[in-house]
Amino acid sequence: MSKKFDITNIAKLASISLSDDEKEKLSNDLSVIIEHVQALSDLELDTNIEDVYIHPLEKVLALDEDTEKPSLTHDEAMSNAPKVSDGKFIVPPSLE
Amino acid sequence: MELLNLSIRELNNLFITKKTKPSELYSEIFNRSASSEAALHAHLSLFEETNLDKAKKSDERFSKSENVGLLDGIPLAIKDNINIKDEKTTCSSKMLSNFVSPYNATVISKLDTEQTIYTGKTNLDEFAMGSSTENSAFGLTRNPWNTDYVPGGSSGGSAASVASRSSIAALGSDTGGSIRQPASFCGLVGFKPTYGSVSRYGLVAFASSLDQIGPISKSVDDARIVYSAISGHDSLDSTSINDEQIELPFEKNATIGIVKELMEDGISEESKKEVEKVIDILKQKGYNIKEVSLPLIKLSISIYYLIAPAECSANLARFDGVRYGLRVDGKTSYEMMENTRAEGFGDEVKRRILLGTYALSAGYYDEYYGKALRARKKMVDEFSTIFKECDYLISPTTPTEAFKAGEKTNNPLEMYMSDLCTIPANLAGLPAISIPTGLSSNNLPLGVQIMSKPLTDNSLLDFSEMLEKELEFNSTPEGWSK
Repeated sequence: MSKKFDITNIAKLASISLSDDEKEKLSNDLSVIIEHVQALSDLELDTNIEDVYIHPLEKVLALDEDTEKPSLTHDEAMSNAPKVSDGKFIVPPSLE
Repeated sequence: MELLNLSIRELNNLFITKKTKPSELYSEIFNRSASSEAALHAHLSLFEETNLDKAKKSDERFSKSENVGLLDGIPLAIKDNINIKDEKTTCSSKMLSNFVSPYNATVISKLDTEQTIYTGKTNLDEFAMGSSTENSAFGLTRNPWNTDYVPGGSSGGSAASVASRSSIAALGSDTGGSIRQPASFCGLVGFKPTYGSVSRYGLVAFASSLDQIGPISKSVDDARIVYSAISGHDSLDSTSINDEQIELPFEKNATIGIVKELMEDGISEESKKEVEKVIDILKQKGYNIKEVSLPLIKLSISIYYLIAPAECSANLARFDGVRYGLRVDGKTSYEMMENTRAEGFGDEVKRRILLGTYALSAGYYDEYYGKALRARKKMVDEFSTIFKECDYLISPTTPTEAFKAGEKTNNPLEMYMSDLCTIPANLAGLPAISIPTGLSSNNLPLGVQIMSKPLTDNSLLDFSEMLEKELEFNSTPEGWSK
């Protein structure tokens, strides 16, 4: 399993900016944890990934009927937004 | 009368016989929770005024004999990752420090029907990620038994609240032991129900295939009463189950398994002795006891620390500074998101998001996340096999007694190992309970864990209550017992 842990790339994928100090500390912490979980690499498993359930009781996740039901109002749904205008979320531009 | 030490049934009886009123209890509870804050910091918010009104309405119902059930007028504390409408839900994170929930979690709607009163929201490790409540962005909670020690986590605030008699019982959430471990560290009962038996709707998600809400209480009966109120199928949670309970024997014809792998290296002698004490009681009562082996338990920390961070990295992607929570500006949307998440999340949450992102990233998915899922399936199969020959499994709840504040904060892996005994029940979706058994040489509580097969929650509670009576653990933390 062991491969080089590229903290800069992982932080980019996770959308978290890290200082150089954080990169060094987190990289060290994660290396120790990843070394620990390597224990799984020696495990012989005859289970196929297709036979694995996400639900630990091996239930199929229930889908709701596609019907209209009471829900949050628009204002309630927007009530915690950091920046809104005219009922819409306001975000910075995608490109500089 | 020491009202704060009484059980839910005893309090209900006092309300019915008009020997005390819910508002009188609430005033005592509020005074206790407010005065305990300086020493313990169990709560992030306390609801004095809104809930005193609720308590007075409860008084009226009892005076007219229109009370609705055992939880009418009973003050419970709620972990601050469970939404109560129009109250803050911070998850102990800077990311949500100003978030006010526009809706109720299903468990809160159910407790509202029972006319339960809330004392406040309790402290936790940020987004329920931790084992000591030291990862809270709003300061650590301390153990009422000895304030140099942690109360456990992540539901450490809920445990400290109940142990200090600042609430009659509390709700916690348990992803890898976050109800049972703090209950054990604080001399309480902590019950993680069968996965899917209590709705997760309105619980801020950490690892959705593992998270489960449950009670922390002074007795098994209190846990049973709260569990009965909050459990049941909910169409708002796609993982909610609608299956009948299965009854297990709990008299002498029950078979008890002692989990070999949880009585070996890494478990303190004192923790092992508590299990041996329970074995002696059960032997005297004529139960059939056998040692059982679940080899994959040895790998449960590895399995868990791939699956839980993977699910956490997906769940916490929603905190992007757009729809709710903190926003830290940036020149572009992408920069804004990176800055927001850098500022809003603490170290442990970042660590787990990064670990999960790594485990799910291209080229690593099959060998990390995929392998962990397959190993989890094998562990579920191991438990199924064992439950064909055993009704209940017993182990220590924690490898050691509570540890000192600051003792493990610089060693994440060592902190993770404190969940060794509790994680397997989450991976397999089992009901599991911790009950207090005795005190360590440092005068700190110890507990044992009992697990049973899925959907046997009621039998597990009955069996645990029988043991609770035999154990006669009635110690309380000095200074908080009256």
